[in-house]
Amino acid sequence: MPAFEMRKIVKRFPGVVANRDVDITIEAGEIHALLGENGAGKSTLMQILYGFHSMDSGSILIDGKPVEIASPRDAIALGIGMVHQEFMLVPRFSVVENTVLGLQGKLDLREAARRLRTLSEQHHLAVDPDAQVQHLPIGVQQRVEILKLLYRDARLLILDEPTAVLTTHEKDQLFTVLRGLRSEGHSIVIVTHKLQEIVDLADRVTVMRDGQVVATVSTRETTEQELARLMVGREVNLRAVKVPVERGKAILRVEGLHVRDEVGQEKVRGVTLDVHAGEIVGIAGVDGNGQSQLAEAIMHLRPADKGRIFLHDREVTRLTVAQHRAFGLAYVPADRRHVGAVTEMSIADNAILGSQGKHTKGPFLNTRKIREHAEKLITRFGVRATSIATKAGKLSGGNLQKLILGREILEDAAAMVVEQPTRGLDVGAIESIWAELLAQRERGKAILLISAELEELMNLADRIAVMFEGRIVGILNAASVTTEKLGLMISGLSEES
Amino acid sequence: MKLIERRVSPADSPLAVTTAMVGAAVVAMLITSLLFTLYKANPLQAYFALFHEPFASWRGFGYTLVRTAPLTLIALGTIVSWRSGFGYLGFEGCFVIGAAATSWLALNTAFSSWAFLPLALLLSFAAGAAWAGMVALIRARFGGNEVLISLMMNYVAILIVQYLVSGPMRAPGGVPETALLPRATWLPFILPGTRAHAGILLALLATLLVWVLLRKSRVGYELIVSGLSPSAARFGGINVGARLVFAAFCAGGLGAWAGLVEVLGEQHRLMDGISGGVGFTGIIVALLAKLNPLAVIPAAVLYGGMTVGANAMQRRAGIPSSITFILQSLIVLMVLASDIFRRYRVKLT
Repeated sequence: MPAFEMRKIVKRFPGVVANRDVDITIEAGEIHALLGENGAGKSTLMQILYGFHSMDSGSILIDGKPVEIASPRDAIALGIGMVHQEFMLVPRFSVVENTVLGLQGKLDLREAARRLRTLSEQHHLAVDPDAQVQHLPIGVQQRVEILKLLYRDARLLILDEPTAVLTTHEKDQLFTVLRGLRSEGHSIVIVTHKLQEIVDLADRVTVMRDGQVVATVSTRETTEQELARLMVGREVNLRAVKVPVERGKAILRVEGLHVRDEVGQEKVRGVTLDVHAGEIVGIAGVDGNGQSQLAEAIMHLRPADKGRIFLHDREVTRLTVAQHRAFGLAYVPADRRHVGAVTEMSIADNAILGSQGKHTKGPFLNTRKIREHAEKLITRFGVRATSIATKAGKLSGGNLQKLILGREILEDAAAMVVEQPTRGLDVGAIESIWAELLAQRERGKAILLISAELEELMNLADRIAVMFEGRIVGILNAASVTTEKLGLMISGLSEES
Repeated sequence: MKLIERRVSPADSPLAVTTAMVGAAVVAMLITSLLFTLYKANPLQAYFALFHEPFASWRGFGYTLVRTAPLTLIALGTIVSWRSGFGYLGFEGCFVIGAAATSWLALNTAFSSWAFLPLALLLSFAAGAAWAGMVALIRARFGGNEVLISLMMNYVAILIVQYLVSGPMRAPGGVPETALLPRATWLPFILPGTRAHAGILLALLATLLVWVLLRKSRVGYELIVSGLSPSAARFGGINVGARLVFAAFCAGGLGAWAGLVEVLGEQHRLMDGISGGVGFTGIIVALLAKLNPLAVIPAAVLYGGMTVGANAMQRRAGIPSSITFILQSLIVLMVLASDIFRRYRVKLT
């Protein structure tokens, strides 16, 4: 008898069936991966189990007995806990204060801290109950979330995309903790779309596509390639094919750049690098090490404190964004929905953002030209949309990213800064975005690729610059570097040897 | 069996939208009927009085147009500024500044009537643009809060006009007001036997201009992007600060034209309290039109007409005209709330 079972779950949202007769069983002492592309319905399913959403029909059984879960409170009482992708912690509270937050009954912080310490030792979590959460690294904050669940006697832990924000080292630590919990009889569900982690960590994997379960398989009897095929529904190419390209002259150069963030903290501390024609230079690093500020400063969305930026040997440091664009720099920002696109405007309107000056007839917009441009964009880059009048916000993440990337590519700029181009996208979309970037490299464009995904950098880049705490701590040849080496460098544990 | 079902996306066919709007107005009128019965009046007679005069009598219709013109101009100003992300509320100020600038020009210069009007349009637009532009500069340069500043500046403008009409521009006599403006400066009357004047034509022209600006021009595109997402606008190479100031210029200028229309078309002199709150009612009209420039005219006609009808209703049915204001407010509330109903459908099976 499985510890947890969901039977024939149906959940409809306006316009979509998110879950269609979904069955899933989770055993005690099992790490179960829930795999699927964005919109496959995996998050919805787990949110039903956690009481966030109600189901339209179906049943949930714990130890064979049917249960009603109407709210997260019910779920917690039944031993089900969830760690969300965005942590739900109060930064100014201590670990123990965060843990007891929301609990009923007498408040005894000292007793709670004692119990936390025991739990932390028992599960090798290494968390100090008195530490303030805001001073803890992300990886430790995640352990605090896990500790919160154990404190509430959770038997089933649901982790939503747990490795998205972790360094390689932190990821290894997390996996050790999870394996420990498994051996003590806890059930764990990890919701993810990263194939390699599943094969490494999970016992069984349930693959969802279009709201349905397509397969539940044991990880011992499957491969990454097989899982990718199940998830996408067709053969996918997990390795990008990079042809040799003659490296041209330097197009984009950055010299000794210093940049501050909104609160005045220096995030970029003396970065020097150059990107040549026909080359992809990757910037590796854990989020928050100054990569975003570097990209924004290059595009002049953020002023540089010190240092100089050159485009084709012409200094552009103090020029406006519009001038950067005019001199041949395109930018794909990390925040697709707030910076890269205006979600409330149509695809056609979004297609000319940044090049609105080229689609005019006198002071007026040239509607015919805009329509042709937008049609070309969605056909050429395979943006799936009913029409160019559709609001951009209605597009899926992958289609929106294709729209933004395609728009910047059609600008035909000599240099391009691309930030986290595949974050949160599913395998199918990643495949086509990678292909587009490589095609641009072959066309002799200079591309600066900022990514937290080491796989992506190893697949696409010619050289990889590792950024740590605002500095470039090493520039490596992508052909001869290993993931392990990069992993150590982005965690600040190793300088270039 | 659920009788009411949530729709996948809100019903947005013209029929559904119209039905929702008309339904909202009817509900507002039903609620107001309860108020009428407090005065022992027959609601049907009261509504007849309210709507007959402004829409079914020639003279009353003239008055309706007189009220519509400034409302339209203010509503258009609201649309330009709000769509650009500039939450301007200083139209009372722009109105009186525009009225004062126009009166000054009319009283102190002697241009022929064909030269006067373009000059007055230019001068009052510039005065209103400068008035609203100040707020935009503070917001764009120093990040000041335009809502608070523009509201406060209304009082400044009203006090300036109070000073002008009781001091430098005061005509001899008991009341704080200027002398009657020279007849040559008046806007021509356009419907024989009524007080309707050419101000309504200016309002129509402005509607067309604002529609073209927002829907058809590059500047309008950049304004709307700035309003919806300033960070995306900057990414697209748009100078958000400059666009904000531009939007404020247009909004202030349109607000000042409302003052010009009132002075040259209706009052023919500058006096204290000349705006009568139109700087705020215009904003309500813009809301009623859902910030769509083409919907402003019907919304303003309805609103202006009801103001005219209110007096007739007071005379004929003995109901306080202030109830009309309650009705007007209820209509706006109901129309804004009616959107919710378009998200559901009724299942009769």
